[in-house]
Amino acid sequence: METTDQNNAVDAPVRLKGMGDGLCVSLDPDQPSDFIRSELVRLFQPLKHLAINARVVLDFGESEGDDALVDELGAFLKETFGVGSVNKSAKRRTASEDLLRQRDMDRSWHHYRSDVLMLTGRVRSGQKVTARRHLLLLGDVNPGGEVVSGGDILIMGSLAGTAIAGQPEGSDAIVLALDFRPTQIQIGPVVAAGLPPSRQGFPEYAHMEGGNIVVENYMEANPFGRMPWPEVR
Amino acid sequence: MGKTTATASIGAALAAEGKRVAVVDMDIGLRNLDVVMGLENRIVFNVVDAVKGKCKIQQAAIKDRRIENLYLIPASQSDNKNVLIPEDMVRFGEKIRLEFDYVLMDCPAGIERGFENSVAAADEAVVICMPEVSSVRDADRVIGLLYARDITPKLVVNRIIPDMVARGEMLSHEDIVDVLSIDLLGLVPMDDHVVISTNTGMPLIMQKDSKAGKAFRRIAMRLNGNSDIPIEIPQGQGRFWKRIGTKFGLGK
Repeated sequence: METTDQNNAVDAPVRLKGMGDGLCVSLDPDQPSDFIRSELVRLFQPLKHLAINARVVLDFGESEGDDALVDELGAFLKETFGVGSVNKSAKRRTASEDLLRQRDMDRSWHHYRSDVLMLTGRVRSGQKVTARRHLLLLGDVNPGGEVVSGGDILIMGSLAGTAIAGQPEGSDAIVLALDFRPTQIQIGPVVAAGLPPSRQGFPEYAHMEGGNIVVENYMEANPFGRMPWPEVR
Repeated sequence: MGKTTATASIGAALAAEGKRVAVVDMDIGLRNLDVVMGLENRIVFNVVDAVKGKCKIQQAAIKDRRIENLYLIPASQSDNKNVLIPEDMVRFGEKIRLEFDYVLMDCPAGIERGFENSVAAADEAVVICMPEVSSVRDADRVIGLLYARDITPKLVVNRIIPDMVARGEMLSHEDIVDVLSIDLLGLVPMDDHVVISTNTGMPLIMQKDSKAGKAFRRIAMRLNGNSDIPIEIPQGQGRFWKRIGTKFGLGK
């Protein structure tokens, strides 16, 4: 009997728990207002004098929750149970993300495995290198050479052959080369042939933007520079 | 690309250095090394006979008229390239290497059976490339195939026209080496003497004022172990006058 009650409590649309020096009410704002009120009464009734002057935080979970509802419920709670203040909980990262970042930090990313085929050398005309996922080549791809990958292609040298990234469907893949003058680029299902001759002397990369392949100066665009946290690709 | 001319010239130059040299025409069905060397009317046996054991190597090897120690094993004109298989060539290679200091094989164009046959018995390879994008692409492919057989090839850039290189109309040898990234064995300029030599059967290296002949002589010396001979970059005709002109503030 008890276990059933607990299960109900976890699944309940309105829940109450102590948080620091206040109370936290988790609720689903999509429920009808009357129902929420009756649930609040059910939860706050047993608190009796503990509810007086308490700091209450309303947590809408994943959904946004509008201020009108906060005001309405706040007024209701203050009137009925004499609570001190009612606020919406600050939108914050989910707890699991916090944990993930803490774990990344503690183990310095040791627990990740990334599938990268790293090669050195030169891919000559008529040769084809295929990587299951990412391909990193310290060397060059000659005209007529072909590099294929399931993920990104990074050429630390000159890319003058064909590069086919993100096979078969990965349209978020990039093709990066220090000297970028490929014969053809393919990202996912999109092909870019007859690319204009690029200005040489700086690294460029190709990526998908709105169904087209776009080539940009890598250092200027800095596509991953603004990510808040190092992530496994 | 000038494979046949290069084979004949380097072979002649090595023989002139005092080595015992055989040049083998592997272009079965499209025989022409014999013409370039001026030996076409002395052919009795050919390389197919020698490989198949129908004659001895000494019988198939034709002695050159002008240069001591230079021998030609001609191709068969009536067969096609499929009469030989690489295994035959490996056995043939083991026999012929006992008889000569150097055996040069003139590899046919393409990367099919003719190429396979030539490469099967080879210890080393020289890739002849012209300063053209298409030629560089093919050379790159061949270099890849040679590396796959554990042969490290060397590069000769043939038919360089220095004036065109200076004007930026022709790939420079630096561009080619950049792409192909193998050791450079020599640079051979475009030379009208090559046509004369081919038509008359007179070895290129014996023509006194042939620049290409001199370049092939130096290539042969490098192949023969004198690797410290500097690689001479072909200079254009107009270069001297241009330089004088620049000195006096004329021209651009």
